[in-house]
Amino acid sequence: MRNLRQFARFTQYRGFATTSPGPGTPSFQVFNRETKRLQRDRAAQDVEASRRVDYLRQEVADRVVDRMYIKRPFRKILDLGSGPGAFAQSLYNTYESNEKERQPIESRFGKIICAELSKKLLERDVDLPFNKKFDIERVQMDEELPDFPNDSFDSVVSVLSMHWINDLPGALYRIRNILKPDAPFVCAMLGGDSLFELRTSLQLAESERRGGVSPRVSPLADVKDMGGLMQKAGFNMLTIDVDDVVVDYPNMFDLMTDLQAMGEGNAIISREMGPIGRDVLMAAQAIYQELHGNEDGSIPATFRVINMIGWKDSPDQPKPLKRGSGQLSMKEFLEKGNKN
Amino acid sequence: MPASTKTRPIAKFATAVGQCSAQAAVYGKCIVADYNDIHKNKCGEEFAKFQECVKVALKK
Repeated sequence: MRNLRQFARFTQYRGFATTSPGPGTPSFQVFNRETKRLQRDRAAQDVEASRRVDYLRQEVADRVVDRMYIKRPFRKILDLGSGPGAFAQSLYNTYESNEKERQPIESRFGKIICAELSKKLLERDVDLPFNKKFDIERVQMDEELPDFPNDSFDSVVSVLSMHWINDLPGALYRIRNILKPDAPFVCAMLGGDSLFELRTSLQLAESERRGGVSPRVSPLADVKDMGGLMQKAGFNMLTIDVDDVVVDYPNMFDLMTDLQAMGEGNAIISREMGPIGRDVLMAAQAIYQELHGNEDGSIPATFRVINMIGWKDSPDQPKPLKRGSGQLSMKEFLEKGNKN
Repeated sequence: MPASTKTRPIAKFATAVGQCSAQAAVYGKCIVADYNDIHKNKCGEEFAKFQECVKVALKK
């Protein structure tokens, strides 16, 4: 009996470096989702400004649409963290501008379900023409907890939204569950060194003016972490690559105004509340200019977009061949190629 | 939101900072010269001049 109890105690023990037991377990909260919802609501209220700063979302959405050239029908697509429906808008733009694409788009794409945390942002573009072209359903939902039946989508896409998710492994796991077998998850998220210029300038300015730093730019997932996370969530045949989108701004204030209008303000739980002090702001502007500035006086801001495609597993999916089953020597093949 | 119709205070401030690019550059150079060793008020003097210029520009 005593031995058994000891054994029970031993199995309950978890070391520091063990992985989390799975989705559903409480995870470390980094972002305040309610703050994020309010920021997006507020940003979408000024429709004009909100549309003006859609350049980044739309650029990335265009690239995601390019990646959807997978020859199969998508009867039901979920756009997770859709914003105003950037994916559908981009699909519509392709449809309108390229006559060759009309027939394939019409025959391949069916219902698009847009899920977004902020109701105001979700409904911002209800009156635009793309709504008439596609069968669009809008659902207000926290994209961290997509609540749909299992095996219900031919594809899940996500454009610039996953970087605000607290429990990334859990969210990826849920996305995998709601996909049909052998269906792709196509995602573009901000990651890695995005906005590193702003981050470093604010840090230098704050340490020199205040003698300490507060988190101003979100911690972001790295490219090399995403592969592991996707694999762990049960996605197969991963393709992951990185796109740097560099945007030039007249000064740091314009960059920050645009970020705010995008609804991309700071929502880190441990952030210092209230606006950044003016002394820190002007110091940061001076440092940004000096450290990263362009020759013409403008400043660059780097948005590092991680593009991922992962497929839900299915028995009839193509699989890699068994190890050692290759008939052709790579070395001989390449050497022969060099001679020709 | 009236943001697009009325000039926000921060926009006014940004313009004022923009008018002091010479002082800003002096302050920026002081920081960037050795950014691995930053402590409070390391470039206090340069910042004071920068701030003075912005204050004047704001009053205009």
